[in-house]
Amino acid sequence: MEAYWMKKLFLAAAGVLSAALLVTGCGKKAASKGTEMVIENGAEPQSIDPTQIQGNVEQRINAALFEGLVTTDPKTCVAVPAVAESWDRSADGSVITFHLRKTTWSDGTPVTAQTFVDSWLYFMAPSTAAVYAYMPAMVIKGAADYNAGKADAGKVGLRAIDDYTLEVTLVGPVPYAVDMMTHYSFDPLPMHAIKKFGKAWIKPENFVGNGPFVLESWVPQQKVTVVPNEKYWNKQNVFLSRITFLPIDDMTTAYNKYKNGEVDWNATDTFPFDMLNEVKLRDDYQVYPNLASYYLEFNLNNKTLKDVRVRKALTESLDTKELVEKVTQGGQLATGAFVPQMAGYTPADGVKFDVVDAKKLLAEAGYPDGKGFPKLTYIYNTSEQHKKIAEWTQQQWKKNLGIDMDLQNMEWATFLAKRQANDFEIARDGWIGDYQDPSNFLELLKSDSGNNDGRYNNPDYDALLEKASKMPAGTERMQVLRDAETMMLDRDAAVIPMYIYVTQNLIDLDKWEGWYPNTLDLHPYTGLKLKK
Amino acid sequence: MITAIGKKKNKEQGKNEFNQEMKSVSLAADAWRRLKKNRMAYIGFWVTVIYLAVGLFAPVLPLHPYAQQNTDHAYLKPSLRSAGIVELETRKAYFAKVMAKEGRTAYNQDEQAQIDSILKRNKTDPQQQRHYILGTDSLGRDMLSRTIYGGRISMMIGLVGTVTALLIGIIVGAIAGYAGGAADTILMRFVDIMYGLPYMLIVIIMMAILGRNVAILFVAIALVSWLTIARVVRGQVMSLKNTEFILAARSMGADPWHIVVHHLIPNTLGIIIAYAALSLPEFIMSESFLSFLGLGVSAPLASWGSLISDGVQGMQLYPWCLLVPGIIMTVFLFAMNFLGDGVRDAFDPQSKNRV
Amino acid sequence: MGKFIVKRLLELIPTMFVIVTLSFFMIRLAPGGPFSSERKVSPEIMANLQHKYHMDEPLGMQYLRYLGDMLHGDLGPSFKNKDFTVNQLIGASMPNSLILGVTALAIAVLFGISFGLLSAVCQNTWVDYTTMSAASIGLSVPLFVVGPVAVLVFALRLRWLPTSGWINGRQGWKTIIMPAMTLALPYFSSIARLTRASVLETLRSDYIRTARAKGLKNSVVMVKHVLRGALLPVVSYLGPAFAGIVTGSVVIEQIFLVPGIGNFFVKSALNRDYTLILGTVVVYSAILVVMNLIVDVLYGILDPRISYE
Repeated sequence: MEAYWMKKLFLAAAGVLSAALLVTGCGKKAASKGTEMVIENGAEPQSIDPTQIQGNVEQRINAALFEGLVTTDPKTCVAVPAVAESWDRSADGSVITFHLRKTTWSDGTPVTAQTFVDSWLYFMAPSTAAVYAYMPAMVIKGAADYNAGKADAGKVGLRAIDDYTLEVTLVGPVPYAVDMMTHYSFDPLPMHAIKKFGKAWIKPENFVGNGPFVLESWVPQQKVTVVPNEKYWNKQNVFLSRITFLPIDDMTTAYNKYKNGEVDWNATDTFPFDMLNEVKLRDDYQVYPNLASYYLEFNLNNKTLKDVRVRKALTESLDTKELVEKVTQGGQLATGAFVPQMAGYTPADGVKFDVVDAKKLLAEAGYPDGKGFPKLTYIYNTSEQHKKIAEWTQQQWKKNLGIDMDLQNMEWATFLAKRQANDFEIARDGWIGDYQDPSNFLELLKSDSGNNDGRYNNPDYDALLEKASKMPAGTERMQVLRDAETMMLDRDAAVIPMYIYVTQNLIDLDKWEGWYPNTLDLHPYTGLKLKK
Repeated sequence: MITAIGKKKNKEQGKNEFNQEMKSVSLAADAWRRLKKNRMAYIGFWVTVIYLAVGLFAPVLPLHPYAQQNTDHAYLKPSLRSAGIVELETRKAYFAKVMAKEGRTAYNQDEQAQIDSILKRNKTDPQQQRHYILGTDSLGRDMLSRTIYGGRISMMIGLVGTVTALLIGIIVGAIAGYAGGAADTILMRFVDIMYGLPYMLIVIIMMAILGRNVAILFVAIALVSWLTIARVVRGQVMSLKNTEFILAARSMGADPWHIVVHHLIPNTLGIIIAYAALSLPEFIMSESFLSFLGLGVSAPLASWGSLISDGVQGMQLYPWCLLVPGIIMTVFLFAMNFLGDGVRDAFDPQSKNRV
Repeated sequence: MGKFIVKRLLELIPTMFVIVTLSFFMIRLAPGGPFSSERKVSPEIMANLQHKYHMDEPLGMQYLRYLGDMLHGDLGPSFKNKDFTVNQLIGASMPNSLILGVTALAIAVLFGISFGLLSAVCQNTWVDYTTMSAASIGLSVPLFVVGPVAVLVFALRLRWLPTSGWINGRQGWKTIIMPAMTLALPYFSSIARLTRASVLETLRSDYIRTARAKGLKNSVVMVKHVLRGALLPVVSYLGPAFAGIVTGSVVIEQIFLVPGIGNFFVKSALNRDYTLILGTVVVYSAILVVMNLIVDVLYGILDPRISYE
C-alpha cells in the first residue's frame, strides 16, 4: 500500500518538476520578445573584423555589430548622431570636435574618445594591412604617412581631449568628412578584447561590439546570426529579436527562397536578371537610384585609343537609353555623366548619342566607315548582365560604325589582374560611391589614383581636383568639380559612361516598417520592425 | 563463272559448326547488318547524321544571322507569325499585367507611344516581317540559328575531344596494362597524380596563359577525360594478358607491339567503343559545365552549353530559351548514347555470325 | 595480397606529395592573387599583407613552411574566409559532403546495376530501350538544368519537398532527397551503361556457356558467375566516382544550399585562396588514392585472372 502512494508521489513530483523545467525552459527562449528577420545577404562574408572587410555583404553584418561616431539616416543617408551626440567644426573647417555620449561595449567596458583614437590608429597601422585604411588616411592629418609607415602615431591628427570629447584634425576643410565617418573604416574597435583574445576575438564566445546586436553564431556556408546587445544605448529602438544572414550565391535559389516566404529581405542583386519582368511587377520590389556608376574604361596608352576622336566616336555611337530600356530593363538611368546625381551637385552633360557625328569623327581619325579600324578587345568579368551589355555594345559599334570588336569574358581575379595592370584595350568598370560627394568618383581618374586603370593623365584635371579638395563646402566647390567632370568627358572622353545603377531590394513594406530605399543602400537595423 | 552480282560469291566459303555453308562477310558489313537490327541504335545513327549534316551545311541554310541583335524583339515566343505581330502581342500582354497591378484600364502615354511605334515599324521596317520559329533570346537573337550554330561548336568539341582523349588513353592504358611492372607503376602513378590535381585551377591557368579560344577548351576538357579511359583499358588488358590466345601468340614469337595492336586492342574494342560513346556526351556536358561557370566559349559565339546556362535563369518566364537548346542537345546525346551502344554490340567480334 | 596492399600504401605517400607540390607551385601561375581587390590597395599595404601571410619569403621557404604545417595537421588560415582556418572550413563541410555523397552513391549503385543488368538480359527489347533511355538522361541533361527543374516541379509547384537548405534547418532529412537524387543521376547513368555493356560481354563468354551447359539454374548463373565477372569495369569506375561524388558537385551545393566541400573547389580557385585550394587538393587526393587502392584490391579479388606479381 505504501509503495503505491510512494509511487504516486514520485510521479507527481516528477510531473511538477518536468512542468517547471518546461516552463522555465520555454520561458528562457522566449525571454527576448520580438520578431526574427531573415536576410539573404548574397555571399559568405569574408570576415566580421572591421579591419578585414570590404564589401556590401560584410557591411550589412557590420552595421548590426558596430556603431561609429555617426550613422546614416535611413532615408537620406546623411550622417546623424550615433556614439557622438553632437559635433562642431572650427572656423576654417579643418578641425572637428565630437562630443560623445556615455556608451559601453557589450561587455560593459566604456567607449571613450581614447577608444576611437586607439581604434583608428590600429585600423591604419601598417601591420594591420586594412584595405580600407586609405579612407581615414585620406582625410585625417598625418594619417597617410602613418599608414605608409613613414611617420609614427604621434603625428596623426587625433586627440582625446577628455573621456567624451574627441578632436579630429583634417587635411583641409573636407566638407564631406562627417558623412564619410559613417563608413565602417571609422568604427571603434574593442582593443581590450583584441589584446586579450588576439585573432579569436571575433569568435561568438569572445565577441565584443557596440552595435545594436552581438554575434550569436557563425556556421560557415550556412548562416550568421546576431541577437540584441543588452548594453546598446539605443536599445529601446531595437525591435528585432534575432537577425539571420544567409550567404546564398545562386540568384535563382535566393529568389525562390524569398518567393517561398523563407526570407524577409533579399538584398540587392539577389534575383536572376532574366526574371526582371516578373520581379518588376511585384509590390515588394524596391528600386531606387544608387550612388553607383557603370562605365567603360579606355586604355589611354593604346595607340588607337590615344586619339580623342576615336574615343568620342565610340562614345557617341552608343544609345545608352536603349541599353537601359531594352537590355538591362531594371530601371537603371541612362547617363552621359560619370558622377551620379547627388544633393548639391548637377552632373556634367557629357557627350550625346549622335551617330552622324560619330561617323564623321571616325572618318576624320582615319577610319572612314570603320575601314582599317583594328579589332580591339573588350574584357568583362563573368556575369550574365555584363555579358549582355558587352554583346549589345559590340553590336552597336558594328551597326553604327562598322567596326568589329572582340569580347573576352574572364573570371574575376584574372580580369582584375589584367585591368589593374593596364593590360587591356577596353574594359568594363563600375564604382559604388562610399560617401555622397562627387570627389569620390572624380578622384578615380586622378593620374596618381590606384584605381585609374586606364591611366588617364591630365594635369589640368588633377589641378582642379586639388583645388576643390582645399575649398570649403558650397556652390563654388561643386562648380570646380563639375568643371573637372566636364573636361574629362566633353574634352577628353576618357571613359564611356553607361548608366547609373539602381538598388534592387525585395522586402515587403506592407509587412515591415522602418526600412527605406536610399541612394547608398544602407539600412540601419534600429527602427526596423513589423507593422502592427 | 565470274559474275558482277556480288564479290562475296567469289570469296572463300567456310562451314560453321553445323556444317552449313557460310557467307563470308567483312566485319564492317556484318556490323552494319547487326546495327540495323537494333532499332534504337539505327534511329540514333540517322539522328546523328542529320545533326552533322545540319551543322555542316548551316552557313548555306536560310537562317537569320545568329549574332544579330534586335532589342525590340527580345524574348519573343516561338511562333509561325511574323515578328511584328508577336512583338505587339507580347508588349500588350506585359502592359495588361502592369495595368492590372496599378488598377487602371487604359494605356498611359508612354505605353501608347510604344504601341504606336510598333505599329509604325510593322509597316515600314522589313525586320518586323521576320519569322522566329523557335523564339528569341534576351537580346532578340533567333533561337533556331543560335542553337544550330551552337551545335556546330558543341559537336566539334565533342568529336575532337573524344578522339584526343581516346588516343592518349588507349596508348597509355595498353602499355601500362601489358608491360606491367615499372612501366605500369609509373604510368598509373602519373594518372593518379593527374586525377588529384585541382581541375578548376588548371583550366583557369590555361585560359589565362593561352587565351580564350575553342581550342583551349578541347585541351582543358581532354586533359581529364583520358584518365578514365586509360584505367579501363589497362584493366581489360591486364585481364586478357594471361588468356590462352595471347599465350599462343607469344609462344609463336609475336613481339609485344604486335600483340598489343593486333590482339589486345581489338579485343578491348568493345569496351573502348562503349567508352567513346560515353565520352562524347561527357565532353559536351563538361563544356556546358565550364560555360555555366563562365569559362566556356566567348561571346558572341554560342555553344549548347552556354545557351542552356543562359536559359536556365529565365526558365520560369521564358521556357523556350532553355527548352530549345536543351531538347536539341538532349536528343543528340541520347542518339549518340544509343548509337554507341549499338556500335559496341555490333562490333563485338565474339558475336560475329551469331544473332 | 597483403604485401601488395602495403606496397601500394607506401606508394600513396609520394603520390600525394607530388600532387601537393605540383599544386603549390602551379596555383601561383594563375594571374592575380589572394589580395586582388577592386579598390586597389597601396603598395605599402600590399607589402604588409604579403608579410602577414609570409608571402614575402622566397617560394621555397614558403613551401617548406607549408609542408611542415601540413604534417602537423595544420592546413593554414584561409585567405578569403579570414576568420576561419582551412581545417575549420573543411572540418565543417566534409561531414555534409560525406552524407550527401554516400547517399547519392548508394542510390546510383543500386539503381545503376539493377537497370544495367535488366537491360542486358533483355537486350534489344522495349525493356532495354526504356531502361537505357532513363539511364541516358543523366548523361544528356546537365545538372544545372536538372536541379532547377526539380526544384521548380517538386518544391515550388507540387510543394512536396523544400526548395533548398540542409538538415540543420527546420526541414530535416527531407532536404537530402532532391540533392542526393540529382547528384546520383549522372553516376547512375554511367553505372547502368557500364553494367549493361559488361554483362553483355560476359554473357557471351565461354565460361558462362559452360555453366549453363552444366545445367546450373539461370539465377545462379547470373549472380554467381555473370555478375562477378561483369562488375569489374564498374568497380574500376567506382574509385574516381566515389571521390567525385563525395567532394560533391558545386552545382548541387549552390542550388540546394548544401554546405559541402564541393563549393570550395570552385570558389577557392576563383578567389585565389591558396591555402584553401591546397586544403581541398590534399583532401581530394587522399580520398582518391585510397579509393583507387581499394578498387584495385577488389579487382584482384573479383577477377581470378588477374595476378599481382
